[in-house]
Amino acid sequence: MIVTAALRNTDCLARTAPVRLYRVAVQGYDLEHTETWESLLARANGGDAAAFSRFLTLVSPTLRAVIRRRGMALPPDQHEDILQEVLLAIHLKRLTWRADMPVRPWLYALARYKVVDAFRRRGAVLHLPIEAFVDILPQPEGEAPLSARDAETMLGMIDGRSAALVRAVALEGKSAEDAGEAVGLSAGTARVALHRAMRRLSQIAERMMK
Amino acid sequence: MTPEHRTENLIRDIAVRPLPQPYAPGALLGMVLGLIGLGLALFMGLFGFRPDLASAVTALPVQAKSLLALALAAPAFGLALASARPSAPLRLWPLALPGLVAAALVLQRLLAVPPGMAGAEMMGQTALACLMSITALSALPLMAGLWLMRRGAPTRPGLTGGLLGLAVGAGVAAGYALHCTEDSPLFFVLWYGTGIALAALTGAVLGRLVLRW
Repeated sequence: MIVTAALRNTDCLARTAPVRLYRVAVQGYDLEHTETWESLLARANGGDAAAFSRFLTLVSPTLRAVIRRRGMALPPDQHEDILQEVLLAIHLKRLTWRADMPVRPWLYALARYKVVDAFRRRGAVLHLPIEAFVDILPQPEGEAPLSARDAETMLGMIDGRSAALVRAVALEGKSAEDAGEAVGLSAGTARVALHRAMRRLSQIAERMMK
Repeated sequence: MTPEHRTENLIRDIAVRPLPQPYAPGALLGMVLGLIGLGLALFMGLFGFRPDLASAVTALPVQAKSLLALALAAPAFGLALASARPSAPLRLWPLALPGLVAAALVLQRLLAVPPGMAGAEMMGQTALACLMSITALSALPLMAGLWLMRRGAPTRPGLTGGLLGLAVGAGVAAGYALHCTEDSPLFFVLWYGTGIALAALTGAVLGRLVLRW
């Protein structure tokens, strides 16, 4: 089973448009959880304010990136205003999403309409194909990004050597052998330790999402 | 405070707001169909069904008038309601099917009609009454439908309004056919078609105005 652990660097997010994803496929290690945009919006539409807040927070980076990348015609200080208009529209129109529809096409169509509209009202013409949204963040269904802060918090909850192993393998892309050597473990022991650490992290992640 | 922080605050603020008014396609459809029915009932009360209704309904051209209009109204309603949800797939080709059948009926009649008579048959006796009736009976249901449609999120307001106008006009025409005694396809395809097209155009223009969000 190949599963990606998406660790997002929130610091760079403020300056550069695309969200940076550190993706590592680790054989047999599952850091995935069941929090999807669909489940969040479904809960939000059932009246769960926390789920809606989380949903808006999760979709903001994608929308912000599209607006910044496409919004050269407008001064950057207006980009965040446009994002806020889109977020407000998501709230006002959220009941037009049906729980049996995928969220992303719905969200991108809605956002596209609002962004084009916002630019038009500011006197700037914007050509915004729907693909602009998909290009930014081709996330497979079911994968919710964890922020760098989340990841650090989680790594702080396991022992230091395991955390160092995970950092080396998941963030720096080293092999389990090299990572084990650095902390004084044989290749086999390092793999077992890594396996246990990832399982522990996925349990922590699940708890954090609830 | 950075702009991103303002956005975070906005998200916190939005998240605790009460749910917006739901987009309810079922209620919208019920309201529009109810108003069409009400208008037609009033109309029939004033002007009556065609006197030969009982015998005429067995004739194919008479059935075609109502059935073609219904075959247009049904998919148009479905598409209009679906188009108020962003990203909903819209297959517009079913709308062309009744149009093709109507064109075939016109062609068949043109080949059968005596030379020189086609023009008179096309103009009929009641063209103006037909146009005015379909337009008048469509007005209120269309307004109500557009109003309820504002709770939706049509990303192409003109298209959504046009589809709703098309559906309402065709629904009204299907009922009006029970009053109208002109059974030549040359007449009803032209005049019902014009009435329905006027309703669709009105819906499209109004849609662009009132369905923006």
